[in-house]
Amino acid sequence: MSELTLLILRIGFLILLWAFVFAIVYALRSDLFGQKVRRLPAPNGASAASASPAPSTAPASSESATARTEAIAPAPAAPAPTAQEVADEPVARRLVITSGAKEGMELELGDDQLTIGRSADSGLVIRDDYTSTHHARLMLWSDQWMIQDLDSTNGTFLNGKRVSIPTPVPLNTPVSIGTTTFELRR
Amino acid sequence: MPPTDSLPTFTKSIAITVRQPSKLRNLELVLLLVAIGVSGTAIALVQLGVNGAVDVGVLLQAGALGMLALGMHVALRVVARDADPFILPIATTLNGIGVAMIYRIDLARGLVGWEGLAIRQMVWAGVAMIIALGVIIAIRNHRVLARYRYVAMFVGIALLLLPMLPGIGLTLNGARLWIQVAGFTFQPGEIAKIALAVFFAGYLVTARDSLSLVGRRVLGLQLPRARDLGPILIIWVAAMGVLIFQRDLGTSLLYFGLFVVMIYVSTGRLSWVLIGLGLFLGGAAIASRTLTYVEGRFAAWLDSFNPEVYDAQGGSYQLVQGLFGMAHGGLVGRGLGRGDPTITPLAESDYIIASIGEELGLVGLFAILGLYLLFVARGFRIGFNGTDDFGRLLAVGLSFVIVLQVFVVVGGVTRVIPLTGLTTPFLAAGGSSLVANWIIAALLLRLSDEVRHQPRLVVDE
Repeated sequence: MSELTLLILRIGFLILLWAFVFAIVYALRSDLFGQKVRRLPAPNGASAASASPAPSTAPASSESATARTEAIAPAPAAPAPTAQEVADEPVARRLVITSGAKEGMELELGDDQLTIGRSADSGLVIRDDYTSTHHARLMLWSDQWMIQDLDSTNGTFLNGKRVSIPTPVPLNTPVSIGTTTFELRR
Repeated sequence: MPPTDSLPTFTKSIAITVRQPSKLRNLELVLLLVAIGVSGTAIALVQLGVNGAVDVGVLLQAGALGMLALGMHVALRVVARDADPFILPIATTLNGIGVAMIYRIDLARGLVGWEGLAIRQMVWAGVAMIIALGVIIAIRNHRVLARYRYVAMFVGIALLLLPMLPGIGLTLNGARLWIQVAGFTFQPGEIAKIALAVFFAGYLVTARDSLSLVGRRVLGLQLPRARDLGPILIIWVAAMGVLIFQRDLGTSLLYFGLFVVMIYVSTGRLSWVLIGLGLFLGGAAIASRTLTYVEGRFAAWLDSFNPEVYDAQGGSYQLVQGLFGMAHGGLVGRGLGRGDPTITPLAESDYIIASIGEELGLVGLFAILGLYLLFVARGFRIGFNGTDDFGRLLAVGLSFVIVLQVFVVVGGVTRVIPLTGLTTPFLAAGGSSLVANWIIAALLLRLSDEVRHQPRLVVDE
C-alpha cells in the first residue's frame, strides 16, 4: 500500500467522520435553528366576520354555554359547513378549551395529528364519564383540520351535530367531547 | 356507533393509517449504518496503517457488534418507536472508534486474540448493549424509577463503598475503585453514578421548594437557610470521602458536580452553584496540601515541563507524553496506525483522547468532541421537552454525567485542569464504564420515547 493511498484514505476517514457529524446536525436543524415559519395567507373578510376575536384566556361564557346546550340537544344545530366554505380560512394554530374542567386552557397545534381520549397515550387526555378510551382525533388534511370520531360510545359533536365521518373543523366552532368543549383558533 | 352502515368501513380504512411510518426510526437506521461504516473503516484503516493489509477476522468480530447495534435498532422499532434517533448512532460511532483505537494499541504491543484489550472491549460492548436493551424493555415508564429513589440512594452508596471492603476491593494505579470477583474486575462506582442521578432527581423534585423559595437575599443572591444546607453538605462529605479513602479525584468531582448541577437546574438559584464551587475548591485546596497524590497531580499540572516533576514517581511523564503525542499528530494526525501512541502509559484508557489526537489530529478530535456535544445536546433537549419534573431532572442529570466525564478527562489530558482518572465515555477501554454509559443511553432513549407519547394536555374531572 503506497503512502499516497494511505494519505488519501486518512483524509477520507476524517471527511467521513465530519460528514457523519454534519448529517446529524442537518437532521437536527429544526432543533438547532428553530422551525421554519410558514407564511399564513391573509385572512379574508368572510372568515373575519364569523371569527369571534375573544382572547383565549377569557373565553366568552355565553359561547361556551350555548356550546354545552347544543352538545346535549344536537337537534337545532346549524348545518355543518362544507369543505368549500372553510377551505379559504387560515389554518388553525391553537386549540382552546371553552368549557369543561380545564376551561381557558389552550394547546398549540403542530402539523401532527392530535388524538383525544381517556387513555394516557392520547395527545389530549379527557377523563370524564362520557369519553371513550380512544375517542376522536384531529388531523391536518391539506391545511384543514379534520375531526374524526373513532367509534366513540357517546359521540363527538361539531357545532352540536354528531360527527360520523371525518369532518372539516372551521375556526371558532365548538367541538364537544363529553363535558369538554373546545374550539380551534388561529 | 355511527348512524349508517356504510360508515364503519370508511372509519376502519382510516384507522389502519393511524399507524404512521416511523420516520424517526428510519432516520436512525440510516445514521446507524453510517456509524457502523465509520467504525468498520476505522478498524480497516488501523490494519492498513500497521500491517499494510486488511485482516477480515477482526472486522467480522466488529461486524457482529454492528449487528448487535442493528438488533437494538430493530428492538427500538417495537418497544420505543418514538425514541430519539441520534443517541444510538452516536454511541455506536464512539464505541466503534474506541474499539479501533484500542485494537491499534494492541497491534503495537503485539497482543493478539484474547490477550488483546480490543476483543475484551468488544465483548463488553456487546454485554453493555444487551443490558441497555434490557433496561429499555424493563423500564417502560421512567416514573417507576422515581418511586425507588431511596432504594437508588442506598444502592448508590453501597456501590460506592463496595471497593472499600477487604477481600474483594482492589487497588489499581493508587485508586481503590475496583472490585474483583472470580477473576473479573469491575468498577462499581460507574453504576453508582446512575443510581445517584436517579436519587438526586427523585429527591430534588420533592425538596426543591424548600431549597429554592426560602432564604435571605445578600448582595443580589438568594442564600439558602442554614438547615437546607444539609443535603449538599452530606454529598460534599461523601465526595471528600471518595477523595481521601478511594484516592480518586475524578470520581469525587463527578459525584459532587452532578449534585450541584442538578440542584441548580431544579431550583434555578445561582447561589447553589457558588456554594458548591466554593465547597469543592475549598476541599480540593486542602486536599492538595495534605494528600500526597493530589499534591502530585497539582504539581504535574502546574509545572509539567520541570525535569524534576517529569522524572518523579507519579509525575508528569504521562501527561507530557500525551501532549507530545497530540503535538505529533498536528492538525490532521499521523493517520490511524501510523503514530506512536503506546509511548504514553495507559494509552488505551485514560489517555485514549491523546492517542486519537495523535492519529486523527485536531480535526478528528474535534469531530469526536462534536459527537459528544450532539449526544449531550440531545440529552438536554429530552430533559427540556419532558413533561414531568422527575424525567426532566433525570435527563439533565444523566447527560451531565457524560459532560462532566468528557470535560474532566479531556481537560486533564490537555492540561486545562489537574489530571484525574475518569473514563472517556464509550471510548476508553473498560467494561464497567461501557456498561454504565450504555445504560445512560438506554435511559435517555426511554425518556425521549415517553416525551413524544405524553399527553399534551390532561382534562381531569
